[in-house]
Amino acid sequence: MAATFIFSEDAALARQLLTPALALGQPVVALTTDPAEAQTLASLGAGRVLLLKAAATSPEALAPAIAELLAKEQASVVLVGGTLRGKHLAAHVAAALKAGLTTDAKALALVDGKLETQRILYAGLAVSAEVVTLPAVATIPQRTFLAPAPAAQAGTVESVEVAADTRVSVLNVTPMESEGVDITAAIKLVSVGRGFAQKADLALARELGAVLKAELACTRGIAEDEHWLPIERYIGISGQTVKPELYLAVGLSGQVQHMVGCRESKVIVAINKDEQAPIFEAADYGIVGDLYTVLPLLTAALKN
Amino acid sequence: MSILLTEEQELIGQSAREFAKEYLDPIAAELDHTGQFPAAIVKQLAAQDFLGLFVASEYGGAEAGYVSLVEVVENLSRSSAAVASILVNHSLAAYAIQRWGDAAQKQAFLPALAAGGTLGGFAVFEHGPTPGVGPNALIATKHAAGWALKGTKAYVRNAGAADVYVVLACTDPAAGAKAQAAFIVPAKAIGLSVGPLAETMGLKGCPVADLVFDDVVIADSALLGGPTDGQTITTETLALASVAEAAQTAGIGQAAVEHAAAYSKTRVQFGRPIATLQAIQTLLAETAADCHLARLGLRCAAKLMDDGEPFLVEAAMVKQFLARNGAKLLIDTVQVEGGFGYSEFMPLPRLFRDIAGTTLLDAPADYPEKTIAAALLA
Amino acid sequence: MPKLLVCYKWVLNEQDIKIRPDDLSLDTSRAKGKISDFDRNAIEEASLIVEQQGGTVDALSYGTSAVKQSVKDVLSRGPNRLLWVGDPSAEEADAYVIASVLAAAIRKNGPYDLILCGEGSSDMFYQQIPARLAALLDLPCLTFVQKMTLEGGAVTALRKLGDCTEQVSVTGPAVVSVLSEINKPRIPSLKQVLGAAKKPSEEIPIASLGLTPEELAPKAVRKSPKGFLMNRKNVVYKESDAAANVAKLVASLAAEGLR
Repeated sequence: MAATFIFSEDAALARQLLTPALALGQPVVALTTDPAEAQTLASLGAGRVLLLKAAATSPEALAPAIAELLAKEQASVVLVGGTLRGKHLAAHVAAALKAGLTTDAKALALVDGKLETQRILYAGLAVSAEVVTLPAVATIPQRTFLAPAPAAQAGTVESVEVAADTRVSVLNVTPMESEGVDITAAIKLVSVGRGFAQKADLALARELGAVLKAELACTRGIAEDEHWLPIERYIGISGQTVKPELYLAVGLSGQVQHMVGCRESKVIVAINKDEQAPIFEAADYGIVGDLYTVLPLLTAALKN
Repeated sequence: MSILLTEEQELIGQSAREFAKEYLDPIAAELDHTGQFPAAIVKQLAAQDFLGLFVASEYGGAEAGYVSLVEVVENLSRSSAAVASILVNHSLAAYAIQRWGDAAQKQAFLPALAAGGTLGGFAVFEHGPTPGVGPNALIATKHAAGWALKGTKAYVRNAGAADVYVVLACTDPAAGAKAQAAFIVPAKAIGLSVGPLAETMGLKGCPVADLVFDDVVIADSALLGGPTDGQTITTETLALASVAEAAQTAGIGQAAVEHAAAYSKTRVQFGRPIATLQAIQTLLAETAADCHLARLGLRCAAKLMDDGEPFLVEAAMVKQFLARNGAKLLIDTVQVEGGFGYSEFMPLPRLFRDIAGTTLLDAPADYPEKTIAAALLA
Repeated sequence: MPKLLVCYKWVLNEQDIKIRPDDLSLDTSRAKGKISDFDRNAIEEASLIVEQQGGTVDALSYGTSAVKQSVKDVLSRGPNRLLWVGDPSAEEADAYVIASVLAAAIRKNGPYDLILCGEGSSDMFYQQIPARLAALLDLPCLTFVQKMTLEGGAVTALRKLGDCTEQVSVTGPAVVSVLSEINKPRIPSLKQVLGAAKKPSEEIPIASLGLTPEELAPKAVRKSPKGFLMNRKNVVYKESDAAANVAKLVASLAAEGLR
């Protein structure tokens, strides 16, 4: 019987994938390399869990083996967690299965025997539906769905030995410095851009954030070029996507590549000295003014 | 525009636009404030082959022609007309030497001018009456070692930064207009000094000063062309200047109209963006149309130059059109932007001052009308 | 001497695309073509490798007939030769079709020591072509590369992934996708632009690639893209008195229950 397969090397994301998978109405089979996760996935609604055992367990190294397995299982839909590693895996699998693949699917449904998905085009300018014939593959970003509640009945877990692709040698892996903060969970954000002249000036934004009880976020340039804030705080098309109640954009121009990451915020406020900055078109409220003048005044006013 | 440009010319324009956005946009306002010659930028212009645009490839130039020149000049001017002025005035020296130089002179100067190791200047004007019409302020006297130059040239662009100047001098005050000669003079020549830098209205960053010749002795081999070719060399080189400065003007106008158009979409008065008001649309439309027509005119003159055809009349026509309409481009766009446009932290005031420079300077020895009328009435 | 291939896409400049206000459909009539942004980095990386150690770079693209407009632009940026497949099928092609066509062209003109791609195209940003190509050509694949060296037939690369950087190496032919931070693409100098006309370029007729009708039909069909319009209140406080603006903003935040 046609089944929906899910995989992510990111445990939390793998659980989230169960939700859209179950909603498609087909039996769900989860692939994982982590024995503890296997049990969790079985308890959350995966009818079967295949615990993959191999010499190397990165998604890239397992790509050919997973593709072969999915072909043998005649998978009808494959959902892969949209991490960068996941995207590499999903593309390999799609090529092997001669299948279509929707990258960063925002919604999925089975309609008339095809997988209908939605995704963003033109760097955020547009949204499009994609209709994918089966077998179909989709990558889904983190936090698009919530993990499901435990299932009434736990599924089965079986081990499968697979061969890893060893052509690429991994010399070493260096984790990125992480503050451990999850800005996607923040209810309010104060986001900073190149209007700030130097790193020390971010203190103005931090003070405002403290009064508002908001987390600090930023544009790509601040994180990737200036290294004033860790990359986990940057918002945009290749960074984080957030949906807070309040997004306060300070000294940032509001380019599409950034706004894609925050445009579903409930209320957007902009502070910028350039009246023509695109951010004002994307904001509910705004102040045209120098952030160095406005921020201290705003912080003081909110304290009262 | 693609019907008038070859693919290469379009790509050249594209490169110039990318260069301008990356290297000139960030410094244009500051350059206007400090007026400090941007030596690092000039090096980068050289790396892009912009300083040897029309110089023959046998001398290391790009041999890309004059339509390419105006494409580059216009695209640079959309970001900084001052930097474009440095390029234009350098190009005048390169043009004169390539056009009238003998093999030895071309070999001696063109490779360095093309590579950008040597920056050029063109010293033609004087404080007094027009050279060739009245008494001359720079006299060249025959000397045992060649020629001795004594006097002053005025309003020399790139003065002080240039390494070599093409200089117009009078060899016989009694003969006046009939005795004008051009010389190639290195900046380091003994007795040659640069006067104090002028504070100009616009195009700040392109230095302007007098050149003072205190018995500067140069060899016979420094004479460019024949002993009475000075007038011809000046007329034709200034015609090139007209065309190149027209490209600067079109670039400045383009930048102004785009800025004003974007502004008018966000500025709300009487409950709607001012872009919806007919008065604003008229100002923008006329500016855009004038830029477009000027662009076509100057491209035509440049194409004639590429084809080796006479171009003085067409150059004069473009000069005359922009002398009338150039300032209007900025008067109208500042009007669109109103109080905001008037503030110095907006780009339009700089563009206003720059366009005054590109439209009024370097009039040919005859006024443009005379050149056109002479052709018509011949 | 390495023989390199770089794949690129000729896309519409998304900044020229307008959204029609009545039905949110996309108006691409005034959109000019450009080399996809990250593909410029791939072209630059390939050109730098060959400029440093010798070898050749072929550039390859599959697109509609519009791809002809890209030839001199690409050749002015370093590659020695350009191969292109121009066919109407490219209009609706998805990553499945694009990879099928590119793989067939590579088989015809290869073998190559290294195949470079950008991370994804600036219009569709599938991020699929490199791994798909590698799977179809049975080559190892290094994705999301921030830095790389090619030495004696071995590629060493630093991959930048969401939570870590990974140093990898592979010997023999491979497919590599590069991130925009890997280099700064050159602005072609005049001589480079003029030199492009002297370099060879060749159209590969799609019929010569031996593809089946299935391979040219998209598996993922795009339906009616709609512009995303921000529908916000756009209330802007811009008095000359900053304190007055702040007071108004605070009142607005209070009204929204966000103080």
